[in-house]
Order: sequence, then C-alpha cells, then structure tokens
Amino acid sequence: MRPIMAIATTTVGEAIRRRVLLIILFIGVLLLSIIPSLSVLTARSEQSTMISTMYAVLRGTSALIAIILTIYMIPNEIERRTIYTILSKPVMRWQFLVGKFMGAVLALGLMIVLMSSVMVLLFYIFQQPSPERLLEVARQPFFYFLEMMLLAAVCIFFSTFTTPLVNFFLSIGIWGVGTVLSPLYSSIASNSGASPIMQSVAKFVTGAMPAFSNYDVKNPIINPGQVIENEQKYFIYIVLYAILYSAGLLVAGMVIFDKREV
Amino acid sequence: MAAAIETRKLTKTYKSRLHGLINVVQDLDLTVEEGEIFGFLGPNGAGKTTTIKMLLGIIYPTGGEGFVLGKEIGDMDVHRIISYLPERPYYYEHMTGLEILRFYGALFGIKDEALFNQLLERVNLAADKSKTISQFSKGMQQRIGLAQSLLNDPKLLFLDEPTGGLDPIAHIEIRDLILNFRDEGRTVFISSHELSEVERICDRVAIINKGIIVRQGKLDDLLSGGRIEIIADDVSKEIADQVKGTTDATVSFHDGRLIVDMSDEQDPNSVVDSIRSTKGRIISLTPRRKRLEDLFIETVRDDDASKKKPAAVAAEVGGAQ
Repeated sequence: MRPIMAIATTTVGEAIRRRVLLIILFIGVLLLSIIPSLSVLTARSEQSTMISTMYAVLRGTSALIAIILTIYMIPNEIERRTIYTILSKPVMRWQFLVGKFMGAVLALGLMIVLMSSVMVLLFYIFQQPSPERLLEVARQPFFYFLEMMLLAAVCIFFSTFTTPLVNFFLSIGIWGVGTVLSPLYSSIASNSGASPIMQSVAKFVTGAMPAFSNYDVKNPIINPGQVIENEQKYFIYIVLYAILYSAGLLVAGMVIFDKREV
Repeated sequence: MAAAIETRKLTKTYKSRLHGLINVVQDLDLTVEEGEIFGFLGPNGAGKTTTIKMLLGIIYPTGGEGFVLGKEIGDMDVHRIISYLPERPYYYEHMTGLEILRFYGALFGIKDEALFNQLLERVNLAADKSKTISQFSKGMQQRIGLAQSLLNDPKLLFLDEPTGGLDPIAHIEIRDLILNFRDEGRTVFISSHELSEVERICDRVAIINKGIIVRQGKLDDLLSGGRIEIIADDVSKEIADQVKGTTDATVSFHDGRLIVDMSDEQDPNSVVDSIRSTKGRIISLTPRRKRLEDLFIETVRDDDASKKKPAAVAAEVGGAQ
C-alpha cells in the first residue's frame, strides 16, 4: 500500500501543476462565473437555466481534465524514464498503475471540488436559495466525480497499450457514446419493434460500454416535479457501478501492462 | 567470491514489421563478481541498456536465464537490495531534492529524515535541499540520482552512463562516489561511453557489440602486453640515431632528451646500455599498458570486420552463381 500511496500523492502534486490542466480549470471557472449574468437573458426559468448550464460546464470541463490528465500519465513516465527508477524499486507494475489511477482520481476530485464550490457559491449569491435547495444543487457534482473516475479508468486502461492521441479519440468516443447515445441505445434495446440486429448492437452498447449517462441526475434538481424512483437504491447502484467498472478496467489494464515492454 | 550477476545465453529479440526478428541481445554470458566495479561497454545500440533493463526485470528476456544476487531476474526481493540510475534521469521537477528522497524512500517504506539528510550531504546537496529539481544543474540531478540509489543501502548498483554530459568537476565527484561504493563493499555495474572513466575505476569490463559479448575480462589482463617508454637526458645525437636504427620503436630526440616508445616484447636493456655508455642519464623507464580506448576500438572494428566478411563471401558466392 505504501508504494501506491507514494505514487498517488506524487501524481496529484504533478497534476495540479500541469499548466494545460490549470488553463482548462481556469476557463471552466471563468465560464461558471459568467453564467449567472447570461441566464437572465433566457426566456426559461432563470434558475433552471443557470443550474443546467453550470452543470454542463462542470461536466464538460471535468471530462476534458480527466482525459488530458490521464492519457499522458503512463506514456510520459516511460518517455521520461521515471518508470525505470520506480520499477527498479520493490514496486510491482500493478501497484504503479493503481497509484497513478488513484492520483488521477484525487487530482480530479480536487479540481471538481474547486469548480463545484465556485458554482454553489455563485448560485447562492445570485439565487439566494434555501439550504435544502442548495444541498440539492451541490449533490450532482459528486455524481460527476464518479463519472470522471470511470472516465479516468477508461483512459488509464487505454494508455497501457495505445498512444496518447489514439487514447484521446477512443476515450472521447466512449464517453460520447456513454453520455449522449446510451439513452438512445437503451430505448432501442427495449423497443420490440426494432430489428434484431439493431437490438443486439444496442444491447451490447448498453451492456458493455460504461453508462456515463447514469451519473447525470440533474433532471429532478432542475425540474423539482421530477423524481427518481427508489432514489437511494439508484444512488447505491451507480456508486457501486462506478467502483466495480473502474476496478474491472484497472484489472484488465494491469494484465496488459504487466506484459508490456516499457 | 559469489557472482552478483550471472547470465546464461540471455537473449532479447524484438519483432519488427520491416526487418523481421531483431536480436538486440544474443546469448549473453556474463559474470559479475560481488564487490567489483564492472564496466559494460559498447557502441550506441549495442544492447547495453536492454541488458540492464532485463537484469532489472523491466523488460522480459526472450531466451536464456539470468540471476541477480543469486535470485532469478525480476524477483521482488532482489529489488530491495539493488538500485538503478538510468541514463539522463528525470525527476519530478516540482519536487525538491529532499522530497525526491522522501518519495523514493516511501517506495521502500523508508521514512528516515536523518538518512535523507545524510544522503544529501554525501552527494554535496545539503545546501540545495530546498531547491526544486527544475533549478538543479545536470550534475546536481545526477547526484540526487545517486542519492536516491543509495536509499536502500544497495548491494548492487546499476549505473547507466553515470557521467554522461557532465562537466569535468562533476565527473570527478561522481567518480569518487563510485569508488567509495566499492570501498563500502558494493558491486557496481556501469554502462558507459566514457572509456577513460571506466579505465580509471573498473576492475573488469565486457565489450558488447551488436548484442554479442566480444570481449570480457580483468582490465589489467586486457590492457597488459603494452609498451615501454624510456626517457633519457644528456644523450648524444649519435646514440639517438643508433637507437633509432636498432629498435622497432618510436623515437623522438630534442636538445639532448631522448624519448623511446617501444613494444614490451623487445629488450629495453640494450637501449639503456647504449644511453649509459655515453654518460646519458636515464630519467625513467615506464611500462605502459594499452589504453582502454584503443582496446575498445580495436575490438569493435575487428568484430565488425569479421561479421562483414561472411556477408561479403556470401555476396560473392551469390554473384558467381
């Protein structure tokens, strides 16, 4: 456990100093800051527009940070030869990979906490909501954090055998399918009118691809009339899903990385 | 003495889409005794770093076997008592020298601040321990590399080009540190291009060319059988000419000083007698051994030539057919 923690903390230290990530983070915070002044222009409810736009910025920025942060993690260590010094110590390859993943998740957590704090603060200043409403708004970022953990696991998995460029497009693609297309494939899979081939494809996509859309639980927050059935059960399910799916990807990554020539 | 490193037919082959199978290291038989400084020499791309990576278990051999400190390569227990300094190492730039030692120490479970400070002092970085790596010179980075490699009090150190790209002062500092390692009973395996450095500090060397060991042995044995240099003063021109005529040697004469550089297979007594017969004064008679650089160039050239010959013969035969 000691090597894993040492690698994780060093990874956090390095991640929070990477200029490109800090620039993305800065742009994210900047966009969040201007949203309250833009939402007054909308014809829809000012509050719901503000929340949904802020969530969209938070999610998009977090995803970009998660991908940029993790796709270079292993290749950079190999290119700079730091991996040789580390692996010549009593550190197993799987410990190195888990340490890197944990560091990425911690760094992501820090950045999401920072952006969420700005978001909640702005929401409080501009909307003066009740404490219950504020808590409700602050809940969604936690699920985005789980989504980004899952995305980081996808990127780390690909980084054990692909180049950063290929990894970037693969990860973006999988996240895109898992967020935008997943609900569509879900409905195709359950639609008895669809062709059997389409249903099989849809079942594969919904079953095998990580379901990032599960973590977008903003609808009941934006539209207070909507509710999630068995909310507690659903939240437990998506937390376990994120943990188990990430663990599965990490194990697969470990098997590949263990055989890889570095 | 036990072997710190032993390999038998250790081989690493890569598959290339363009060139098929490439033997980067082939049938490597190597023995490094405990407590010695062993120089592993070879031109660029000869297979030095690949060999080190195999011995460290970072890459996997495709054939043969290897043992480090009595255990099969890749054994995690061995990693607790060995150490590695890669060529042109990179350390996380945001960290200070002390933080680097804390990080690498944590990989062993070492949290001994006194040890970290002691190691920084040993490599002359105590005054710079608060500077970040980005503020370090190349020599300082190499020294912090050596400090991290000593954290676990290793029995065996692998140093890949430890003096590469360093200025002469840094060279001397690193060389002294390596010599101290031997005094402390550690085994040091050095891969280097700096032949004069290797000649100064190594007990034994192996020369690898195109993945194959072409020469291996004690440095004294490999470099012996060299030349003798005689320097004399107050020598007459006639004697100088006589020496030139009677010996197969390089002779230089200027203002009464005679310098004779001759093979040690010839008898130096006749030259000395000639000089002394006319009241010439012998200043020195020094047996000189070959330089490692000469041995290295000779070995690699001979090996390249012998490998070209069969190809040339095959081409000729092919052409005749």
